[in-house]
Amino acid sequence: MTEPMLWGVGTSAYGRFPDRRVEALAWEAVAEAVRDAGVSPGEIDAIVVGSVFGPPGVATRVQRGLGIPGVPMWTVENACASGTSAYHEAAEAVRLGRFGCVLVLGVEQMSTLFSGAIVPEATDPEGASSLPLPGLYALQAQRYVAEFGVTPEQLAAVAVKNKRNGLDNPRAQLRSAAPTVAEVLASRMIARPLTFLQCCPTSDGAGAAIVGGDRGNRRDLRIEASAMVSGALWDHRSADVWGFASVARAAEAAFAQAGRTPAEIDLLEVHDAFTIGEIITLEAVGIAPRGEGADLAPSGHTARDGAQPVNPSGGLLSRGHPLGATGMAQLAEIAWQLRGEAGSRQVARRRVGLVETMGGGAAGMDGNACVVTILAPQT
Amino acid sequence: MSGLGVDRPIKRRAGSAVGGLPVADSRPVLAGDAVLGSRCTACRYPSAQRELPWCPVCYAPAAEERFAVTGAVWSSTVVEIPVGTRKPPFGLAYVDLDDGPRVLVHLAEPAVLGPGARLRITGTDDGDLVAAMEVRA
Ligand SMILES: [Zn+2]
Repeated sequence: MTEPMLWGVGTSAYGRFPDRRVEALAWEAVAEAVRDAGVSPGEIDAIVVGSVFGPPGVATRVQRGLGIPGVPMWTVENACASGTSAYHEAAEAVRLGRFGCVLVLGVEQMSTLFSGAIVPEATDPEGASSLPLPGLYALQAQRYVAEFGVTPEQLAAVAVKNKRNGLDNPRAQLRSAAPTVAEVLASRMIARPLTFLQCCPTSDGAGAAIVGGDRGNRRDLRIEASAMVSGALWDHRSADVWGFASVARAAEAAFAQAGRTPAEIDLLEVHDAFTIGEIITLEAVGIAPRGEGADLAPSGHTARDGAQPVNPSGGLLSRGHPLGATGMAQLAEIAWQLRGEAGSRQVARRRVGLVETMGGGAAGMDGNACVVTILAPQT
Repeated sequence: MSGLGVDRPIKRRAGSAVGGLPVADSRPVLAGDAVLGSRCTACRYPSAQRELPWCPVCYAPAAEERFAVTGAVWSSTVVEIPVGTRKPPFGLAYVDLDDGPRVLVHLAEPAVLGPGARLRITGTDDGDLVAAMEVRA
């Protein structure tokens, strides 16, 4: 067994770039990751790509500009967790000794597919019934509010925190002034109780990483754990809100692998596609007990200068959500933070970081897939 | 910058409502006073899906089943944006059918209903199940 290490990361900017080629977004991220890792493209001996909406053969279309011919290459689709699912496969392949240096890419161009929210998948019962993703999260939120008495202000505090963090992220899609709680609540209602400023924008962008074994480079980050789970039935027997259980399963596996507890995590990038998502995720990961996650943002616990900063990058709520690239953007932020290279976004304590990406949308399942990875600088 | 799709190829879209091609309908079917689905012949697990390869809980054979049209709200919301051909506002709820599966319904009257509220599926609208607050005699 080889302990997998994160050698380097790179991303494009995130935003709406309908006039850019999807390959160009990918090449920008790959070039930065290759430079960051200090490798030659010729050293890469496998490529794993995460993407949801393609185009078909997107990996090959990206590869034709890279000059890395003939290596094993495959594409992974796991909804919003596609990028980190690709990363998970790379880390596992390195761990098992299958490859020595793997390029991971997450890429998505959504501005040429949707003018607003993602069009619900027509082959899915819920999609055919016009349930949009904000509606699915709203159903999650309403159940949660009824069960635990979460207030609109507590929900809005997540958006305020992440949008304020995003002001310091030059690659984020949304960098206007940080809204107040009142402004978040006064913004247009999308699906009750979620207002416009509590929903992430769809985006274009790419993220890349180089994963390999221990090469004696002090700058490389230790991948202490990487866990990926698929969805389970979410049905009339499920007492948890949609999505909770899949995140909990992945987190439990990751903590067991790393031999760590949630209290040891210094900072996190988690899936905040909607405000309620961050709250429920942090409970599922174990950062807060069940029903108490809504207080993490208002109390300052998850602020950038708090005890456990969450989404110091601004999260999906600021960066935007280019599905296949999102997990790689989260990974890049944790890498920069753990190395102390996050500039004005830098958090103080940076011994252990966690990335969580939850992909979902298929009716009747508690998620399509969830990936949790734990990283740490070498001591 | 040119407008979306102007002078450029147009990518595929999902579903006929947004210009794609029709797909098989996977929604639960209302037949008279019952919602059609499947039930496991061994553990009795109910599902709104049909043509199952086996029971997804215990792997025993699943058979066609008819479920009650009444149930309790798991959660509900009101969507305030247009989705496909649906104009806002429209109400949606997950309902745990009595002795049946959890299904998504459209609400006859858009409103946020608390968990446990009693609903009755009264018909369909463009293929979607429609439910209203249950009125007891
Ligand atoms: Zn069964």
